[in-house]
Amino acid sequence: MTPDVLTIEGLSKRFPPSIIALDEANIAVRKGEVHCLLGANGAGKSTFLKLIAGALSPSAGKIHVDGKPVHFRAPAEAARAGISMIYQELDLVPQLTVAENLFLGHPPSRFGFLDKRSRRVQAREALARVGASFTPEDRVGSLSIANQQLTAIARSLTREAKVIIMDEPSAALNETELKAVFRVIRELTAQGVAILYVSHRLGELREIGDRVTVLRGGRTIETFDVEGTPDSALVEAILGRERGFVERRDRPPVTGEVILKVDRLTAAHGLDIREFELRRGEIAGLTGLNGSGRTSFLKALFGADPHEARMSLYGKPYKAKTPRDAIAAGVGLVPESRKTEGLILDAPIYRNATLPAMQGQFLARHGQLKAKTVPVLRQLSTKYGSPEQKVIQLSGGNQQKVVLAKWIIKGARLLLLDEPSRGLDIGAKADLYRLVDELAADGAAVIVASSELEELYAACDTIWVFHEGRNIARFDPATTDQDTILKHQILGDHHHD
Amino acid sequence: MTDIVTGVAPARTSGRRIADLLIEYNFIAIFLVVVAIAAILSPNFLTPTNIANLFQQAAVVGVVAVGMTFVILTGNIDLSVGSVVALCGMLVAVLLAGGMPILPALAITILTGALAGAVIGLITALAEVPSFIVSLAGLVSFRGITYLLTDGVPVSGLPPSFGAISSTMVPVLPGLQVSSMGIIFVVLCIAAGALLRLTVFGESVYATGGNAEAARLSGLPTTRILVLVFTVSGIMSALAGILLTSRLRIGQPTAAQGLELDAIAAVVLGGTSLFGGRGGVLGTFFAVMLLQVLRNIFNLLGLGSFYQMTVTGLIIVAAILLNRFIDIRRGRA
Repeated sequence: MTPDVLTIEGLSKRFPPSIIALDEANIAVRKGEVHCLLGANGAGKSTFLKLIAGALSPSAGKIHVDGKPVHFRAPAEAARAGISMIYQELDLVPQLTVAENLFLGHPPSRFGFLDKRSRRVQAREALARVGASFTPEDRVGSLSIANQQLTAIARSLTREAKVIIMDEPSAALNETELKAVFRVIRELTAQGVAILYVSHRLGELREIGDRVTVLRGGRTIETFDVEGTPDSALVEAILGRERGFVERRDRPPVTGEVILKVDRLTAAHGLDIREFELRRGEIAGLTGLNGSGRTSFLKALFGADPHEARMSLYGKPYKAKTPRDAIAAGVGLVPESRKTEGLILDAPIYRNATLPAMQGQFLARHGQLKAKTVPVLRQLSTKYGSPEQKVIQLSGGNQQKVVLAKWIIKGARLLLLDEPSRGLDIGAKADLYRLVDELAADGAAVIVASSELEELYAACDTIWVFHEGRNIARFDPATTDQDTILKHQILGDHHHD
Repeated sequence: MTDIVTGVAPARTSGRRIADLLIEYNFIAIFLVVVAIAAILSPNFLTPTNIANLFQQAAVVGVVAVGMTFVILTGNIDLSVGSVVALCGMLVAVLLAGGMPILPALAITILTGALAGAVIGLITALAEVPSFIVSLAGLVSFRGITYLLTDGVPVSGLPPSFGAISSTMVPVLPGLQVSSMGIIFVVLCIAAGALLRLTVFGESVYATGGNAEAARLSGLPTTRILVLVFTVSGIMSALAGILLTSRLRIGQPTAAQGLELDAIAAVVLGGTSLFGGRGGVLGTFFAVMLLQVLRNIFNLLGLGSFYQMTVTGLIIVAAILLNRFIDIRRGRA
């Protein structure tokens, strides 16, 4: 049997006071194998990888490389021990050449001077091993994402990596590019390098993986041989059996007319949404893995990102080239990041809340703006001192209510909420969804994108599953269990209720 | 982050409030301290003639700094203002010397300043290039155009009534007369303050500087706002150029070199953040006056300009460190 190059026993990471991100994880990676790591959002994959790569230090547990115990205090130490991490957003310097990137942090030198000739020679060797069609002199910024990926792999080789960790390399690649990366992976494993490959996609795992370890809730559940293990067994391991019981909110059936009809909407990174509709008074949830296109879809609907679309809103053709157009048509967006996209943190509450509503007027009547803000904040049961208080002084939940207040004051009839509950505690989440309920009862239509399926499940009339930029399935949560929806998320099967 | 109970403002003692006000308006306190020191050092300082002089001398850089405040509030910078002052000062002189009546000459000059600013704003906003470099190009080019107007020769022979724009003495208090130039500076400050505080445009300037992406996603016309703030800066520079030529009675193409740095120093000293979103014209006004008082007191004491430069630099650093310190304390509070 092939010897293990990396063995991990009982690895744990606790973030005081009470978060256990990783709980006694075990894994054994053999020399020359592609070992896949599977798990749902929040299963602990990122923490696990960061511990192995030395970017975090473990609270407990042992890591052995080639049978010798190691303790990494920094990523450089892990790299020296032969563990190399390739992050999803490749950590290359685009302004530098390929050769300069390959030896970033460990340039070949003679008598303290940079040895450019030897760097070029070694760079050529490393690039040849990954079958690159570009030269060491090319600028990384001018390469395609796939070639940048190859550069990152070649860099691992210059550090004599024994284990290369790849975190969702397929996220930014198309089919052909991914094939090229897979070919390189096969060549490397033939030379004895082990690959720890993280992906959401079962298809890739079938194509490239030898074995797979499933993570769930911060624990390593089981390791399977890829061959001979059916998808159903993997999905079951990912989801587990001990689902929390979620009480569905009692909502009257949606009877309003269709107000938003998207025949087709396309945008960058393969976003291609077809036949999406929304009724008056409906709360639609968007679920999907990271990168499935939820955020891009909402941004396109709001005119914040360039896109092509054929759609109608309230019976009229709808085209939003800028957020201004969308707002004029009665659309409001609560963006994914309230701090960088939603709020002007240094400005008072009432100015944030009335920013869209005051546009088009000449005078800013501060008294009037405050008078408009206060009742809406009360309706949202916002906790604050005075409307002149800066929003930065509010808690996350109350900040989110200020973002929502913007669109209530403006009178938006179609609300797009992107991860509205992120960073909120349970009470604030309940407040938020109660509010969404009231808005829908009032005749607004709401689209909520969230990575927390349970929340959508409890709050929505319809759940759309997004997969690789497409809306592949639509479910009625009243008649569908969560596992079915989760399976669609992962496998990408089509379904329409 | 703190949660504050619904609807109830935290109780504050009056002492705490005074402290808060002092921190908020620290530039006024510093100004008053410097004035008090100046008054003690020189008996000539608080005389009506000297006070009138202060306003007269502060006006040119002051008017430019008011325009610069708009630009810096959006997180941008306008290095071209000194050259626009010179260009507009020369243009108005050339037009008047050529026999054009005063009003159309003023209108053309102000329009030229507005256009110069708008061009810089347009390039900055549409090409998404840092305004630092765009306005640096403006600094060089506009100065070049200024020299081209007369091949670098100063223009004289302006009508005496043009001089009256800057030098008419207006009684403001019994015994205190201030020149029209000083009055124009103060009026422009008030107008600019009103524009920033009372209009939606002003709100939009603060919002764009505070968080451009949030402003865009709130439906603000961010491109138009950027073009407008540079246009305001251009108009203010044109007005400053007119005042300068009116006071000198001559169009001087080498005038106002380095004025942009004095204006930026005043805006920052007045508490406007270089990152945008915070500050205002009130601070700029007091900072301009503070720098003028410093120059003035050194003159009254007979100390040379070398001392002036050194101490001015030190005071700017001290004021900025103070503001930084206040920011940090506030962040922790």
